[in-house]
Amino acid sequence: MARSDGTEVTVRNLRVYISGRPILKGINLRATPGSILAIMGPSGSGKSTLIRVINRLIDLNPSATVEGEVYIGGLNVLSADPYDVRRLTAMVFQEPNPFPHLSIFDNVAIGPKLHGLAKSRADLEEIVRWALEKSQLWEEVKDRLADYPHQLSGGQRQRLSLARALALKPKVLLLDEPTANIDPVSTRKIEESLREIARDLMTTVIIVTHTPQQAARIADYIAVLYNGELVEYGPAREVILYPKNEFTKKILEGVI
Amino acid sequence: MYRLRRLKSQLFTALSIAVAILVFATIAHILLSVAVNGVGVIASAGIDFFVKPPPPPGAGLEGGIGPALAGTIILVALSAVLGVPLAVLTAVFLAEFPHSRFSRLVKLFTNSLLEIPTVLVGMLVYVTLVTSTGSYSILAGAVALSIVLLPYTSTYVERALEMVPATYKEAGYSIGLKKAQVVWYVTSRIARRGIAAGILIGLAKAAGETAPLLFTLGGALYSYPTSPASLLEPGNAIPLLIFTLTLAPYENWHSVAWGAALILTLMVLGLIIAVRLVVREVKV
Ligand SMILES: Nc1ncnc2c1ncn2[C@@H]1O[C@H](COP(=O)(O)OP(=O)(O)OP(=O)(O)O)[C@@H](O)[C@H]1O
Ligand SMILES: [Mg+2]
Repeated sequence: MARSDGTEVTVRNLRVYISGRPILKGINLRATPGSILAIMGPSGSGKSTLIRVINRLIDLNPSATVEGEVYIGGLNVLSADPYDVRRLTAMVFQEPNPFPHLSIFDNVAIGPKLHGLAKSRADLEEIVRWALEKSQLWEEVKDRLADYPHQLSGGQRQRLSLARALALKPKVLLLDEPTANIDPVSTRKIEESLREIARDLMTTVIIVTHTPQQAARIADYIAVLYNGELVEYGPAREVILYPKNEFTKKILEGVI
Repeated sequence: MYRLRRLKSQLFTALSIAVAILVFATIAHILLSVAVNGVGVIASAGIDFFVKPPPPPGAGLEGGIGPALAGTIILVALSAVLGVPLAVLTAVFLAEFPHSRFSRLVKLFTNSLLEIPTVLVGMLVYVTLVTSTGSYSILAGAVALSIVLLPYTSTYVERALEMVPATYKEAGYSIGLKKAQVVWYVTSRIARRGIAAGILIGLAKAAGETAPLLFTLGGALYSYPTSPASLLEPGNAIPLLIFTLTLAPYENWHSVAWGAALILTLMVLGLIIAVRLVVREVKV
């Protein structure tokens, strides 16, 4: 099923330094369209940094330097115009950050609207509804789309951030602990949505998660970072059943 | 030893309180004098106070500050049109490119503008605009005021933009927005109250200044601005009028000056209260 043409994410010998300190120390990875790659690892191991390289948000940190190669399909991420890279990607941040000055509707609509993805108002409303449904938020907000994010709970805000990302129907979906504040039932449903999106839209999904169970439920591949190094990478079943690395075992046992 | 130290500390506290009281009393005294003296004058002239030119020297209170009031309103509006866009653009530039060499130059420039006496701004406009057009004018006054408000508004707006949490800008970039789009659709919207406050602070500054108008506006006592062409003719403004009336040796002009001072105080106070209201409701 996995297609190798369009939007495979390839990371080769990636090194990141922040203020001269090595944060990622030579990472090699691949994430294929239609599949989900889970990134695991203890706090501070470089998971968020890796995500931020793939969509070039790392550029916003002037003290960061990046070496190596990153490709999205044929696009050389590190030498391309960052805005071209970000048109292919969308991201959910570790801390929910819906735009505080925009209504629930506009938070989801702003991306499609500014990128001209909707041909009409009805079209736009359809996209917003779809994204909110996939994020398991539609039922809770369908009668209050004009409300603002500060009127939502933390978990609702995180699902709104997810909807904002999904509304762009990105080729590459980058998720930094997207269900950290969300209840187990919604979490399961969101995981289903993510599987559907990967399968139906051939999206490349990269998800940072701290819970081995979540990785086991949704990931096709698992990568484990430890102290800026990739200590384990392979098909999810293999990594879970036969972890090669000591740290991987501990992480899968939930010890670190 | 200990008692000496305690005595010193007590003395210092007492001194601080005395100074604070002195400052507060002075401000209260000024405001109270302005209110007491101003109300009487305005009451006796009635509506004329707002529309008529000042009374002839030494001849009663049958007049007011009409031309200067109109002049101040036009000057503030015109200096806003000239100065605010430039101030906001400067602020956006400084907030978005804080490390560029040009930014540091611009920063140096706006900081110097904050420091230099505003009378020098008036002189600068005099030697350039007034001498080249051959006349004092409302336009020249407005140019001077716009230079005065520029550093205040740009500094305040820059700070408001910088206070927007980085995570919202990152969210904007993450959905593929360009820098200008992030500024327009995200940062400036979240900072909108701070931006409004910065603009109002600039306007309050422009409304209250006398010095930049000394060599630029012309201080026309009796003529009203009537048409757009009036912008190229001399005009007046309340602070400048107060200055003129107070220096003259006529009792009735001094009285009118008190009334003018009251109106100016109320205008500037109104702007400052507006700033407070706008800033208080900031929430992110
Ligand atoms: N802006 C920054 N400035 C300085 N150091 C940074 C910055 N961002 C990340 N780091 C450092 O890079 C390392 C990796 O951080 P990163 O946020 O990628 O970790 P993480 O794996 O996402 O951790 P967590 O699970 O806690 O989110 C950490 O040691 C962190 O201190
Ligand atoms: Mg992280």
